[in-house]
Order: sequence, then C-alpha cells, then structure tokens
Amino acid sequence: MSSSDIRDNDGPSGVIASISDPIAEGLARGWKVLGGPHGALPASLDCDVAIVGSGAGAGITAEMLARAGLKVLIIEEGPLKSSRDFRQRESDAYTQLYQEGGGRKTADQAIPVLQGRCVGGSTTVNWAGSFRTPAETLAFWGERFGLSTLSFDAMTPWFEQVEKRLNISPWLAEPNANNQVLRRGLERIGIPAPTINRNVKGCWNLGSCGLGCPTNAKQSMLVTTIPAALDLGATLLVQTRAERFELQSKLGNSDEREAEALICQPIQTDGSPAGAPLRVRAKHFVVAGGAINSPALLLRSDAPDPFNLLGRRTFLHPTVTSSSVMPEAVNGWAGAPLALYSDHFLSTQPMDGVIGYKLETAPVHPGLVLTNLGGIGSALAERARALPQTAVLIGLLRDGFHPDSIGGSVKLRRDGSPALDYPVNAYLLDGARRAHLTMAEVQFAAGAKSVHPVHELAQDYRSWAEAKAAIQALPYKPYITGFASAHVMGGCGMAADAARGVVRPDGQHWQLRNVSVHDGSTFPTSIGANPQMTVYSQAARMTAGLARRLNGREVRLLAEG
Amino acid sequence: MQRRRFLKLGLGATALLAVAGAGTALLNKHGLVEGRLSAPSRQLMRAITVAVCGDLLPPEGPAREARLAQHMDQLDRQIAGFPPALRGDLGQLLTLLGTAPGRLGLMGLRNPWAEASAAEVQARLQALGRSSLALRQQVFHALRDLNCLVFFNDPASWALVGYPGPRTN
Repeated sequence: MSSSDIRDNDGPSGVIASISDPIAEGLARGWKVLGGPHGALPASLDCDVAIVGSGAGAGITAEMLARAGLKVLIIEEGPLKSSRDFRQRESDAYTQLYQEGGGRKTADQAIPVLQGRCVGGSTTVNWAGSFRTPAETLAFWGERFGLSTLSFDAMTPWFEQVEKRLNISPWLAEPNANNQVLRRGLERIGIPAPTINRNVKGCWNLGSCGLGCPTNAKQSMLVTTIPAALDLGATLLVQTRAERFELQSKLGNSDEREAEALICQPIQTDGSPAGAPLRVRAKHFVVAGGAINSPALLLRSDAPDPFNLLGRRTFLHPTVTSSSVMPEAVNGWAGAPLALYSDHFLSTQPMDGVIGYKLETAPVHPGLVLTNLGGIGSALAERARALPQTAVLIGLLRDGFHPDSIGGSVKLRRDGSPALDYPVNAYLLDGARRAHLTMAEVQFAAGAKSVHPVHELAQDYRSWAEAKAAIQALPYKPYITGFASAHVMGGCGMAADAARGVVRPDGQHWQLRNVSVHDGSTFPTSIGANPQMTVYSQAARMTAGLARRLNGREVRLLAEG
Repeated sequence: MQRRRFLKLGLGATALLAVAGAGTALLNKHGLVEGRLSAPSRQLMRAITVAVCGDLLPPEGPAREARLAQHMDQLDRQIAGFPPALRGDLGQLLTLLGTAPGRLGLMGLRNPWAEASAAEVQARLQALGRSSLALRQQVFHALRDLNCLVFFNDPASWALVGYPGPRTN
C-alpha cells in the first residue's frame, strides 16, 4: 500500500460530511449551554435538581426529571463534542473524549482504564454492547446486600423501557471478521456465540464506536436523553468540574446531613482551572459522574462515611487479551466491534468460586491494539505489520463475587483528583491464566496461524498444544500479566442497610438527605456484562422514585414519538 | 473526623529524587517545561522511540529525523491533553531519568541518552518490562505505552500497519 491509498479526512469529506449534527442544531435552537467555548459561568445558579455528569446514569436522570417538570442543571467536566468533531481518529479521540486524556490508569499504573469524559460520558465512546443485567448478578445482590426488590423480574419493565428508548435490539448484520473468529472457534469446541444487542439506529457498521459515532447512529446519551432534557429547558454546563459539596454542619450525634451547595470549578480541557468557581444551590443533587469520579466527589466533600465504605469495592472487569494472526485478512478495525459474545465461562464454576470470564472481541485500531498487545523493537514491528490479519479476543473477569475479590479503593491525589488503587492478586491472576488458555484454544480452533496472550514473557505460539503448555508454565504475576479495563463499577455501593452500602436501594445517600447517586458506582459488585444497560435501567428506576418524592409526578422513560 | 484518603504514591519519583541526591542541580533540567518535553527530555524520548519502534522507523537519515521530529511534536500534543497531576508525574520521571543517578538507578543505563545504542536501550527496557519491582514497571509502561500510542495513533504510521484509515462513505 502506498501512502496515497490512505484515506485522510482532514476537513469534511465523503458522504459522512453531509450528516446533520443534532448538537449543532440544538445549540442553534437556543439550548442553554454554558462553560468552555459556550460562555462564562455565573457566580451562582439555583435549580431544582443538579446532576453531576452527563453519561449513562446522568442522561437518563436528566431526561426523566425534565419531563417531570423540574428545573434541571447538568454539570459535565468534559467538553461538548458531536458528530462534526468525530473524525474517527485515535489521535483526537482519546485525548478529547476520555478521562485523563486517555491516560487514566490504576494507581500503580498496572491497569489502563478507558472511561469517557465528554458530554454523554462513556456512552459516547463505548462499543454499543447492551446486555440486561444477568439474573444471577441481581440474585447475588439480593442475597448479599439485601437488594431483593431488584430481582430480574422486578427490573424487566425498566429493561424494556430502556430498550425501547435507546433502540436496543440484536445486531442482525453479518458480524465482522474479528467476531467471526470468535464464533468459528467457539463452535468448533461446541460452544455457541450468541448475538449482542446494540443501541444503534441506522448504523453504518463503520467500527468507530470507540472514537465517537460520526453518523449519530449510536443511541448514546449525547444524541438521546441529553438533547431531550435540553429541549425541555434543562441547562448544561460543560468543562465544569463538580469540586465539592458544602455540607450543613453536623447536628448532635446524628450522621444525617444535607448538602447546602455544590461548588463547581470551570476548567480547561486538560482539567486545569479556568476562572472563578460557581456555587450551585439545588433542592436535590444527583451524583452521576461515573465510578471513580462519584466517590471522589464525596471524598472531597468529607461526606459522612460511618462504615468506611466510600470508594471501596470499586470493580473493573479486569480484562485480559489474546491476539491471533489469521491466514486471512481480518481488518478488525472495520465493522461493529462487538457483535458476538460468550458467557459460557461465567457459569463453568459457582459464581463465588474461581473467577469466571466473559468472552468478547475488541476493535483492532492501531494505537489501542498495538499499545495493549505489548512488545518493543522487532516483536512490536512484527505485530504491527500483521495488523490486517490480527484478530483480538478479550476475556472480562467478573470481579466482586468472592472474598478474595474486593476490588479497589478510590483515593485522592494531593490536588484532589482521584486515583483507583486496585491490587492485582492471585485470585485474578488465576483467572487471567484460564482466560488466556480458553482464548488460545478458541483462536487455534478458528484456524489461527499463531496466538499471543498479552503477557510480557509470552511468545507467539504456533499450535494449541504449544500454547497450552506455555501458558500453563508462565508465571502469572502482577505487571507482567497484561490487564486493561473499560468498565468501572462500584465505590458508592447500594445496600438495604447503611452498614453495607453508601446509598439506599433507591439511590439516596444513606447519610445525606438530599444527595442521590445514579451511576455505575452504586453497583455492589461488577455485573458480568457490559454495564451500560444496568446503569440505564437502575437510573430509570431510581429517577422514577425521585420524581415521585420531589414533586409527586409519575414519569417513565418513554419511547420517542 | 478527616475522611479524605490521600494517595501516597504516583511514580514515587519525589522520594527517589532525594535519594539520587540530585537536589538543586535539577532545577535547570526539568523533564517538562511549560508542559512540553524539554531539550534533554526530547533526547531521552528519541532514544526510547528508536528502541520501541525499531525498524518501523525509516532508515537512518533525513526521513528518520523528520519522522522523529514529528513524533516528538505529537508526544507534546498528547502530554498537553493530560491532566496536571499526570503531567506532573511524567515530568518528575523525565527529570529523574535525565540525571545520571536516575538513569543508572532506574534504567540501569550507563551511557547518556544521546550516546546509548538502540540495542542497549532496548535491553534495558526489556529488563524493566520483566521486573517484579512496581517502580520499574511503572517507568517501563509510562515510556513504552506513551510512545507506542502516539506513534500508532499518527496517520503517518497507518501505511506501515496496513490500516486504510477511517471509512467516510
């Protein structure tokens, strides 16, 4: 290939350039958006409900509360970017749309964490996999955290509303070649690979979900609930960080208090301060900045935490990777990145036994994949040149269900920014080895010429027998075993009593009367599935209750039109 | 009761700076200056890039120099997008690695960055990547991953890896 074959879309080009941008249109219609390039913040703002974040939990909450007739303020620390900005370029996307400029990692740097930081949050950059919360996860929450009202049956009406609202349905197009490697390999060892549900409408099958959808097909919060809330008169602040709550002074021995105001800091895109702080007063505050950020806001606020639970039990679905070089072209950057999956290895052992794992695929974009596959010098060069034939499988470990899987703790750096301390222990490492074995077996069964598990000491193996013997003999230790994460959950866990959770089953903080948490940080364990559907459906359930408490209105998350 | 829990680590570079006895001499040799790679850091990063990317770079000559110069600018752009805390950690690491004791202590690299051979730097990086010490692993991933991500994100590398670029119609 010569460099002239490279399609470069500096400036508008292709049919994509003619797609209308719903955000630009909304701004032109007069949406109330402030912060960053949209105008300076006032010194103070009053509203009925202030929502921190604009991702999965915040978006659902904002639309429903706006529909309940409440005056809603949405506070997002990231920028407002939309389809006209989404050039499907890794070089733009990670810096502009992800937490810490794409550089977020656990505190000891062992696990890179992909998490959105833009309007729409992680829903703007996720890969569109939409799974109902597994029934066994909800049953476990009932048993261990007293959340018996959240059974699968009880949640089903919420799943149905979300699926309707976000156009969630099975992906019926031909899976891309990367996903077909997963299906072919699994079928040859007698395991089916079901089709994934995706939240898309008129998807072009470009494969750029992780870089911001340039066609507005992905039904992220950016193009659904946030525009709906803004059309109903909500206000959106962007590039504005929720710094800390001002809490009412403690009364007697009671831990119960109220938040009087939320202090917010306008920021530049890199997170450094840009101007004077803003004081937000609200009847109620909903924290939905995502796991890591939500507990960090409460930590910065010195929120009551009588049982020392805040920030703890933060989970990641620590994810291990196996790449294979196939005899045919895979071109794994093209087409829906997630089309097929397998939960088989989640159920080959008891839920609270050795760790189970979900199998999926990852988009094969050069920066993401070649950084995460490891290697330097000639090993890296060989891997890079084989990229078109490379298929990538990932194994997502289901953490949080075993006494040895307590997850990580959110802590604050000296400047108040959060960091997640997540130790990689023997329990996880055992799962990494088993997942590597499974993925190598699947890849060879699918016809791989070679397989490389992501581990600093692993080689490229030429047969299943060779890979099996080698993986069984490799030392599985922290650091040399490669992990990554795109699913952060927990840290403000919900439970039926204050001794086991930060928030009540309805999302309200156990000690702060006018503060609720409506995001993935409320999960008491990981999910065992891509978490967006669980965040949406829990947020919808919590918000219906909140609207009832705040102004007696019944609201549902309705299908459009 | 003070309920905030502050983190006491980062790259641990502050403590090491003291151990390295570099003291005030470092004031003129910061790894990052106004958020960009300083001249000594560019030299260091150049050596790391050559070791990491190997023959994915053009052969020695003007084409290689131009590619490396572009890569350094892209590194600056990436670093500028990092939040201040992360930039601070990276700056400390680069400052430390810019000193002889830091370079020797952390990387085991005897020759100064400008004089070290690619093979030498590669061997030292390989050793860091296989180390069981958290600090060495952090140095390895900070240097290797940043270079790798920026190099392959750059459209200039797409032809090398057979990536046609994004579809637009």
